[in-house]
Amino acid sequence: MELFRESNIDFVKMMRGAVIMSLLMIAAGLASLAIKGGPRWSVDFTGGTVLRVAITPTPPAADVRRVLAGAGYAGVQVQESEYQGAAGRVHEFIISLEGKDTGKDAAEAMQHALTAGLPGTTLELRSIDAVGAKVGGELRTAAANSVFASFVVMILYIAVRFVFRYGLAAVVALIHDVTITVGLFSLLDKEISLQIVAALLTLIGYSINDTIVVFDRIRENMRFRRREGYAEVVNASINQTLSRTVLTSGFTLITTVCLWLLGGPVIRDFAFCLTFGIVIGTYSSIFIASPILVWWAQRQVVDKRRPQPAM
Amino acid sequence: MSRAQQIRAGICALAVIISAIVLIPTFQSWSFSAAERAAAERDPALAERIARVDAKAIRRGLDLQGGMYLVMEVDQEGMTSDQALDALKRVEEIVRNRVDQFGISEPIIQTQGTNRLIVQLPGLQDPERAKNLIGRTARLEFRLVRPAEEMQSVLSRLDEAFKAAAGASAEPAGAAGSAEPAGAAATPGAAAADSQRAADPFAPLPPLAGAGSAEDEAFYKDHPFSAYVNEDSEFLQQHGWAYYVAEEDFARVKKLLESPAARAVPVNLSLQFGDKWATTRSGKKGRLLYLVNAQAGLTGDRLQSARAEPDHESTVYWQVSFSLDRRGTSMFGKLTRENVGRQLAISLDGQISSAPVIQTAITQGQGRITGRFTSQEASDLALLLRAGALPATVTIEEERTVGPGLGRDSIRQGVTAALIGALIVVLFAVFYYRLTGLVATAALAANVLILLAILAQFGLVLTLPGLAGIVLTVGMAIDANVLINERIREELRKSKTVRAAVDAGFHNATRTIVDANLTTLLAGIILLWFGTGPIKGFAVTMSIGIVSSVFTALVMTRFFLELMARNPQRTKLSI
Repeated sequence: MELFRESNIDFVKMMRGAVIMSLLMIAAGLASLAIKGGPRWSVDFTGGTVLRVAITPTPPAADVRRVLAGAGYAGVQVQESEYQGAAGRVHEFIISLEGKDTGKDAAEAMQHALTAGLPGTTLELRSIDAVGAKVGGELRTAAANSVFASFVVMILYIAVRFVFRYGLAAVVALIHDVTITVGLFSLLDKEISLQIVAALLTLIGYSINDTIVVFDRIRENMRFRRREGYAEVVNASINQTLSRTVLTSGFTLITTVCLWLLGGPVIRDFAFCLTFGIVIGTYSSIFIASPILVWWAQRQVVDKRRPQPAM
Repeated sequence: MSRAQQIRAGICALAVIISAIVLIPTFQSWSFSAAERAAAERDPALAERIARVDAKAIRRGLDLQGGMYLVMEVDQEGMTSDQALDALKRVEEIVRNRVDQFGISEPIIQTQGTNRLIVQLPGLQDPERAKNLIGRTARLEFRLVRPAEEMQSVLSRLDEAFKAAAGASAEPAGAAGSAEPAGAAATPGAAAADSQRAADPFAPLPPLAGAGSAEDEAFYKDHPFSAYVNEDSEFLQQHGWAYYVAEEDFARVKKLLESPAARAVPVNLSLQFGDKWATTRSGKKGRLLYLVNAQAGLTGDRLQSARAEPDHESTVYWQVSFSLDRRGTSMFGKLTRENVGRQLAISLDGQISSAPVIQTAITQGQGRITGRFTSQEASDLALLLRAGALPATVTIEEERTVGPGLGRDSIRQGVTAALIGALIVVLFAVFYYRLTGLVATAALAANVLILLAILAQFGLVLTLPGLAGIVLTVGMAIDANVLINERIREELRKSKTVRAAVDAGFHNATRTIVDANLTTLLAGIILLWFGTGPIKGFAVTMSIGIVSSVFTALVMTRFFLELMARNPQRTKLSI
């Protein structure tokens, strides 16, 4: 069986449409980010406490909120999550207390308040994540540094293996991928946590991988097909690698979709981020990174044809 | 078979066999049933066998087995860098001591930077108790309680100091200054009534005055501190007269005592609260307040042993009995001999758990700490006293606790997702590439085997994101095979012979495979540097997976494909 046997799709021609689509996606994400005042950072970065508890018999969330408000935790967010656990259905309350330097005792105090305020129920502690403001700040810096570092490393790597212009095109595609993914998280009102930053870093590596395969082919073809125009070579290269690009993304997607749907609540958003990121990364390798090379080359040609000012 | 092929076959076989051997304990460890593990509680021989197997098995992260991860910061303010380093080392030592005594298996305790300690406790049942045990300073001090006249004079000195402070802040602040007396006047009626007696502690209980009257306001203005300090002789936990702060005033008084004006307390004296709420026979509730010597007569450093036992005078509470070392015994003997009839406060981390009256000199170096402890509180306190006090206060800066239930669910869901994902990938690969798809599957299986063996051999931790990393590797490992197969197909289309196509395919694909995987590996290394805990687990499995997938593709897949292409009669490749 074969997909795309000797395909000959004019990707360079589709570039304008792709750019418009990408700009729309970026604009939607940026608009959401602007309206909501930036991404929704998790307590990993803001500091605060997230407590996950299962209470049996399960009370209404309103009762949980009321009891916590009575104990002086009026500003908490209470969300519910239900899923199949190892020993039957699990109904979790996810209680987050953000922003404040809540210190070490908030999780305990909230548990005590719930035990006292909901008589006749038993409370099972599922997890506590408590981050002090100081550590939150450090994690923020580390996350920003690592994303920045990975951009720089990718540019350098491609610049060494290819030429600088290829590196720049690849990184434009990367920024495109990361911006759209972060924008989507804002649109869906999902939190950016440490895990999500890890997923973004993975995507940066993965998306470059696709891009390199195409660039590698462009370079190879340039040696044999000099007489053709640059756009034709790029187009042929994308077509020749298309089967591989779609297949590998497809295989990786199978695994991330399984993780997303079956992996449980702890890594659901992480797997979602990978899944979406792989789709957008594959798209950008084909429609953004390589066409940028063409556009750059055309511009240079145009520049050369311009009459040079007399010295 | 050519020499190169023999070498490739040998390397593959060796890698797979060694990996399988390394993984034997892991499979054994995972196959112990819950019943067997429960039986090990009673059977030391079985327990030892299980422990031996577990030690060589892949270690599961705290997110999979449940447990607690703490980042603690040592307060090193005012220390030289040598002292700070020493303090951190001693904190580490004492915390290790406490954790060992608490009986948690395989704790990880390590310092980070110059002022942090990371504590990882797997499989923990009671996180709150563990945190109390680890983070508590546990500084035990014996301090003499000062007589009531001195308390009165300290209270009036504080009143003067707070009046002066209020006057100083009222003038420049203007209108803002009036906010404080207004707030004070708004205190509940009961406190206002109590406060009247503070002026004349021996007066009978006055009738309840209306809250917020002008008289009250003037009184609070005149006694900004002592107005909140009451007296009673009816406390169940205290014989004779005692000073106390009512429940509703406690937070305010605590704040007052932390403000600069509280320096009016003479340097050789210190005001300390009781560690628990105390109640009178008539049901009034408050924190006892003691004036004690700033200099401790004796500290917990001189303790030789401590243990919990039932309180002789109570049916429900427990106490901690202790014995002192030789020097402590003589110090304690002298202290008690010289102060018979006075109260000696037993202070823990600056809060007083009890203040018994010294009846006779205690020369045996033994004593007990009572303070309405539950049996657990008493045994924890005894543990803390045995392990020693932390040399500096420690705050918990980050906590990640996973309950055993969530850990179990995560394993189950993670493994299910991984297996189903791998199954679909394999089915699809075989469907798409036929025989070479099977080759890719074999390479993929070897890849996972090698990856797991590396985790087991080097004691690396498998976390839930780590499991995701393995799954992701399965997807990515097939990438190399796809690159090879697509190249071979291209070559076959140029009507090359199978053998030539395989050779050319590998030749062309190798560089691309290395290139493409290197970037993902670079991302993995950045993650390794950035991540902690579970995320580090992801970076570890992904990075190892990338390296081993390149290996299996370039060595194992190549061996099998060349084997198939070797047959000169073969004109078609099942690809």
